[in-house]
Amino acid sequence: MKKAVIVFIVAALVLATVGLWIFSSSGNFKPADIASFGIMILVVVFAVFFGVKRLTSAKRGEPPEDELSKKVMRKTSSLSYFISLYLWLAIMYFSDKFNYETHTIIGIGILGMAVVFAVCWLVINFTGIKNE
Amino acid sequence: MNNRIKEYRAKFNLTQEDLAKKVNVRRETIVFLEKNKYNPSLKLAYDIARVFDSKIEEIFLFE
Repeated sequence: MKKAVIVFIVAALVLATVGLWIFSSSGNFKPADIASFGIMILVVVFAVFFGVKRLTSAKRGEPPEDELSKKVMRKTSSLSYFISLYLWLAIMYFSDKFNYETHTIIGIGILGMAVVFAVCWLVINFTGIKNE
Repeated sequence: MNNRIKEYRAKFNLTQEDLAKKVNVRRETIVFLEKNKYNPSLKLAYDIARVFDSKIEEIFLFE
C-alpha cells in the first residue's frame, strides 16, 4: 500500500514538472521537446498502472509481493540494466553527431532507462519466467 | 514442467482467488502457473499440493 502511494506521488511530481515546463516555455516546442514530453507521459501512465495494480491487490487482501512478482522485478532490473549499458553507449556515440547540451543528453539517458525498464517489465510479464 | 492445477481447482471447486489466498500468493501467480508461464518454488508447489491433499508429483508433472 505504501509503495503504491509513493508511486502515485512520484507520478504526480513528474506531471507537475511537465506542467511547469509547458507553462514556463514560450510555446514553441521542437520535435525533440514533444518526443520527450510523450515519453514522460508514457512513464507516468506506466507508474499509474503499476500503482493501480498494487492497490487492487491490496484491496483483494493479497500480499503486496510474492515469489513471482519478486522474480519478475529481479529479472526486469538485471535485463534493463544490461540494455541500459548499450543505451548509454549509443548515446555517447550519437552525442558527437548531434549538438545537444550535456543536461539534455543526460535527461534523454534517464528517460531512456525508464522506458527500457517499463518495456522489459511488460515483456517479462507477458512471456513469464520458466527457470529453465 | 506441466501441472494439473486447473483440473484440481475445478475438482475442489476453488476459484483462482481462493487458491491464491490459501497459499498466500497473488491471483496473478496462479494464472501464470496454470498457463505454464512460471515454475513455482518447492515451497509453493508443496503448499499447493497440500491444499489439494495430494502429492507434489500428482499435480506437477516433470518431463
